[in-house]
Amino acid sequence: MTTIQKTAGQVSPEVKAIHRRMLRRQRLGRTLTYLVGILISLWVLVPILFITSMALTTPAEVRSYPKGILPFIPLSTETMDFFLNSTGILPGLRNSIVVAVITLILSTLIAAPAGYALSRFIFRGRDVFRLSILAVRAFPIVILSIPLAVVFLRTGIYDSVYSLALMHTALALPTTILVLSSVFSSIPYELEEAAMVFGCSPAQAFRHVVLPLVMPGIAASAIFTFVLSWNEVFAATILTIQNRTLPAQVLVTLSQSSEPYQFAGGFFMMIPALIFIFFIRRYLFNMWGQITK
Amino acid sequence: MTIAPAPKTRKRLNWVPYLLILPSLIYLALFFAWPMVQGLILAVREDGALLVLRSEAETTSSMAGQLPRGMQVNILERQGNPIPPEEVGQNTLLTEVWFQIRGEDTEGQVIEGWAPERRVRVRESDESGKPVSGSVRSILSSSADPLTRVYMEADEDSEVVGQMEARTPVEILDQATLEVWFLINGESENEMIEGWVPSRYINALGDGTRGRIEAGDTSQFTTRYIQRMVNDRFFWPALRTTLLLIVLIIPAQFVLAIIMALVIQADLKGSGIFLYIFAIALGLSDLAVGIVWYSIFTQLGYLNSILQGLGLIDAPITYLTAGTRYWILIAVWLAEVWRATAIVMVIVVAGMQAISREVLEAAEVFGAGLWQRVRYIILPLLRPSLQVALILRTILAFQVFAVVIVLSGGDVMTVLANETYRQYYDLRNFNVAAAYASLILLLSMITSLFYLRAVRTQEEVTE
Repeated sequence: MTTIQKTAGQVSPEVKAIHRRMLRRQRLGRTLTYLVGILISLWVLVPILFITSMALTTPAEVRSYPKGILPFIPLSTETMDFFLNSTGILPGLRNSIVVAVITLILSTLIAAPAGYALSRFIFRGRDVFRLSILAVRAFPIVILSIPLAVVFLRTGIYDSVYSLALMHTALALPTTILVLSSVFSSIPYELEEAAMVFGCSPAQAFRHVVLPLVMPGIAASAIFTFVLSWNEVFAATILTIQNRTLPAQVLVTLSQSSEPYQFAGGFFMMIPALIFIFFIRRYLFNMWGQITK
Repeated sequence: MTIAPAPKTRKRLNWVPYLLILPSLIYLALFFAWPMVQGLILAVREDGALLVLRSEAETTSSMAGQLPRGMQVNILERQGNPIPPEEVGQNTLLTEVWFQIRGEDTEGQVIEGWAPERRVRVRESDESGKPVSGSVRSILSSSADPLTRVYMEADEDSEVVGQMEARTPVEILDQATLEVWFLINGESENEMIEGWVPSRYINALGDGTRGRIEAGDTSQFTTRYIQRMVNDRFFWPALRTTLLLIVLIIPAQFVLAIIMALVIQADLKGSGIFLYIFAIALGLSDLAVGIVWYSIFTQLGYLNSILQGLGLIDAPITYLTAGTRYWILIAVWLAEVWRATAIVMVIVVAGMQAISREVLEAAEVFGAGLWQRVRYIILPLLRPSLQVALILRTILAFQVFAVVIVLSGGDVMTVLANETYRQYYDLRNFNVAAAYASLILLLSMITSLFYLRAVRTQEEVTE
């Protein structure tokens, strides 16, 4: 804009007027964009604020009507305490964490080599492999839990956190492979080559050069896998009876539970997402943008 | 994202990449492809619908015919057949125990052979409970042969070694468990079929000359489960609601997502914060989101609180009841748009980043307004991204589940995934649940193909 103003001395008043109008329009557009952005932000944040303020207050306040719009009055951990001390919640929390951790370890271990192969090698069948991974992602994978439940019943591994983790790994694997392949692709192959020129074996070059660089990306993908498994409720309810995960426990007891319990449960299940999305927001486009290419 | 070119010098077949993708291939075959096939099979095959009749009382003998489960049959003969001990104990399985005994026969000679358990009384057992000695039982009925035959093998058809008097002391050397096989006949398609079957599949009735086929050993193609699914009173409402939700949710999501993406791409100060806020919902579980919107729409919830606070209503309105289904629909719609727009937004932003800035600036210079830029430049260039987002979103929308359960209490309003869950969990109909799952799969694939085709034809038209 400064160049326009500098040269404005030599141009006619009409042109100046046009520039002014453009500037004004740009400023107006900018303000409007902010306004729209803030409105959408409110649309996203206000419901979260509602549930948060319900979870962090007394059960009596939760049951009161009309509810105050001002949040957190009175601020109290009573509702959360009530929820966390309800039957099945702490074991469910433990199960959820166990399933999610197994899922993220298993899917990272299986997906990392495949992601590396996709990003570094051109081999016969590469496109077929890539396309089939995309196709698997586009399947309604949740419906797998019905036949898997029958198979798990027959083989006697039904109702176990481990078999649920196997299912969740299948759920997460396609995304993890695609994300890790894009993470590896962002590290230039020349770095590895240089390491090998200096006498590293391919394995050493990978360990000492590539691995430190891709660790943040792998961590982001692992976090995302964790959240995916933590949130998953359909397969969890179908594949477990005694060893329920937290969402499955909340869902099954939902119709017999009180509103303070429900709201506290809803808030509690949201916490990991609120924290983790903040840490991995830089990688979101790696994760989802990738699939359009 | 560019892919680093592999060194071109590697001419010979390099097995390293295959080794690297092998674990994921195996895993997906085991936990994706195989269960998918199993699911389809569950929906259309009835396990144990038919019982195979054998021409001899042996599993390896040739097939004499098949009879359906539930049929009344005549039992003509019975015979024992050795079976492995782990198979004993199935529901209607009848067993016979035979002992290998040694003792004096009627002629005073010591003979060795097999006799059924019913003719031998066990007198002594060792520590492990295994019988070691006993005596031949006396037979009370006057018409029966008072002597007990001893056979060469544990089979009444085998050669008779000798006969023993009642109360002869015998040593018990060994024992064998036999499964009773029945020679049955029954009519199937106007044809009398006769053959041998193991007793585990037959429930013998009354005096043992009649019986019913309790279970079969072969499966059969059946449309029974699909019929049961279609005739279920929740089927059509579920299908209708699912399709209605897709039609309502997806356009709203795409409009909102494109607006979100435009805001983020506008390069404002603080657009990082906008990105984080818009993306929050990406990590929220559908169950939690259902609860969030429940807290708004429940009778003593936020919506009523706000309306009453503004003085618009005097008493709280009940939204989520059977009488006001449209409110449930609206609540589910809002919850789904709130939750699942984020993923469309991310895909759209990634697609927009690929559109070159020069093109947009050129359009702006030539006086194209925002709407014109969106309509004639951004949307056409975004088509591949939008296609992917459409497919992904539609498939996810077919699986809407927890949100509906939370907001409708489970059966006031129902969707396909909900019915899958109900058939499996409440009714324990695995096969009908699998039929629902297969239907979801089928619908997802049809819509995906439809989108792929629709977009391709458009490209062909414009080119």
